[in-house]
Formats: sequence, C-alpha cells, structure tokens
Amino acid sequence: MGALGHFLERQGIPTASISLVREHTETIRPPRALWVTFELGRPLGIPDDPDFQRRVLRATAELLERTDGPLIADYPEHVGEEADFTGWACPINLAPQATDTLAAEIDRLATWHDQSVARTGRTTVGVSGLDMPAAGALLAAALAGDLPSAQTLKEAVDDLRAYYLEAASAFPDPGTSKKRKAWLWDETLFGKALLDLQPRLAASEDPQLRILGNLTLIPATERHRLAKA
Amino acid sequence: MVRRLSEMPEVEAHHLRRIECPTFDDTPALPGKPLSQRRVALISTAGLHRRGDRPFRPGDGSYRVIPAETPARDLVMSHISVNFDRTGFQQDHNVAFPIDRLRELVEEGVVGSMASMHYSFMGAFPPDAAEPHAQHLAGLLKQDAVDAALLVPV
Repeated sequence: MGALGHFLERQGIPTASISLVREHTETIRPPRALWVTFELGRPLGIPDDPDFQRRVLRATAELLERTDGPLIADYPEHVGEEADFTGWACPINLAPQATDTLAAEIDRLATWHDQSVARTGRTTVGVSGLDMPAAGALLAAALAGDLPSAQTLKEAVDDLRAYYLEAASAFPDPGTSKKRKAWLWDETLFGKALLDLQPRLAASEDPQLRILGNLTLIPATERHRLAKA
Repeated sequence: MVRRLSEMPEVEAHHLRRIECPTFDDTPALPGKPLSQRRVALISTAGLHRRGDRPFRPGDGSYRVIPAETPARDLVMSHISVNFDRTGFQQDHNVAFPIDRLRELVEEGVVGSMASMHYSFMGAFPPDAAEPHAQHLAGLLKQDAVDAALLVPV
C-alpha cells in the first residue's frame, strides 16, 4: 500500500494512506499515513457503522493538507472484540458424517445463502464464474487427483469460502464472524476438503499449485490444523 | 484490537514479519488546495473489481477500474491472500472500500468532489510490478482532474 503513495506522489498526485501494520509503514515511509488498530481486512473499522467509517476516512483525508511528511498519525479510536451475545452452536447439523458429501453440504447451504443475498442485496461470490455445485465438483475432482490449474482452483475455493461464510451469516443465530470462521474449519466438509487437499498441492510438481498449497489456501491462523488432518 | 506486532498472537505476527517491505528515498509530501476544494479518488489494494472483470493473479501489479456509480452488488474481491478477514467486506463493502463514505464527505462539504473512476490494486504485488501501472494511473487521475488519492489497504 505504502509503495503506491510513493509512486503516485512522485507523479504529482498527493496521497494519504490508511496503515493497518505500523511496522510496515515505518519501513516504507509513504508521504502520509493514518495508523489504525483494526483487524486486517477491515481498514475502516466496523461494518455497517457509517459514522465510525466516516470519521476514519475524514481523518485520513485531512492528512492531505499536511506537507510535513513522511508522517504517521495514530488514529485515536479502537475496535474491541466483536460482542458475542450468543451461545452459538452450529444451528443446522453440518458436522461431517460418513454418508454426507461436499455436494450435499453445498446444496444444503443454498437456502441460507439465498437468505443472505435477500438481506444484504448482494453477494461477493462470483470471481470464478462457476456456480457453487460446479465449484464444489471441481474441488472434489481435485481431491480425487484431477488437479485443475492453480488459478482455476483458487478462484473456485475462494468463491466457496465466501458462499459458506455468507450463508452462515444468515443462520437464525449467526454468532460472531470469528465463530463462523471457526465453524468453517471445525465443522464443514469444505474445510476438511481444503485441509486434505493442502499436502497434495504442496507436493505437486507445478510451482503455481505449490504456491497455492503453501501460501494461499489455508490461512496462517489455521495451519495448525494441518498436522491433525 | 490489533496493536504492534509484538502484541499480536505469534502466528499472525510471524506471517506479517515475513512480508518484505520495500524501502524508498523519502518522497516530499506535495502541497495542494484545501480539502474542501479537492477532487478525490479512492485507491484500494484489496484486489477488488467488478464481477466479470479479470481476477487478480499472483504477482499481478495491475489495477482494475471501479466507476463511482458501480453498485455494491457488482463488487467482488480476488486478493490472493487468505490472511485477512473477508467477512467484514461480505457484510458491508464500505469497511474495505468506503465509496459511500467518500460520497457523504463530499455532500457535507468536507471534500470538494469525488472522482468519476476509482481503482483497486491487489496488495501482494512486488513493487516493481506495480510501479509502471501506478505511473500510468497518475496520468489518468490528472485527466479526471483528481488532485488527491486516498489509499486504502486491506
């Protein structure tokens, strides 16, 4: 992010950045940065809180009038852990069962995903161009040894991940996003499929599949599950 | 709340420490008009684009165009990294791409106006791969009479 500040400002476009990782910004030294302590992925802090987001964006924009850069300003507001008022346990039984299949699990979530789309008016699924049964079939085929290109597999997996998490957000008692992410890894055949697939990708002769397996399939925070899988 | 790397869970801090950050000679911060007279563009590095536009790929330093009037339902994210939260963006695109907030700041008179086009890179780019695209983009921003860019990471 900070690199773009240098590139654009050198071409005559004044810039102000939000910084999520202060140590990175201290190294890159872009012209102007506002350091925020929010979770990675949420640079404006809190979803569906326009007032909070507007304050963050305004504080960033106001840095534009300063010419004493490189500067890092510390944003004074912080976001606490997402409040959890639920006794969340997965409200529909998605726990892997011997007789269940990934295709059946994907199908079962469709009605919940429809609920999510109806409520938010949007979905972030749709990078791969595949419908979810087809994305699931591609993942199942990869597990059976029929590996597509890394890019095709990555796009299908990321769409499925978005589909599962959006569907879970529409459950009657959706819990926190942290719990829904844990659910994906703890309780779904999809999470299990990714963990099963990882060693095969890591052992592939295709360097792009190895990158996928080693870096962009399983989040760093979930890699401890690989030893168990 | 995420503070310094030293205060983070080690597995996350370790991942972030491993990211190699480029260094640059200091770039002077340019003077400009008051904020209330500036035309502002948003530039995200969240790997955002319209559904149907080319997804980002590893090492991709190029950008995608997001017209100001793009409906939220058309926005998708193809960042290659899995090490950041996406549920916030799934719930509310503004938490990563604050286009509605920028519009409100313009309505309030805090910001002069907003650009007709906004942009997204995919932040995992090697700087050398992005620099020519960024230089080209600077020329397009000037054509759109943009005189400030807000850079939003993910």
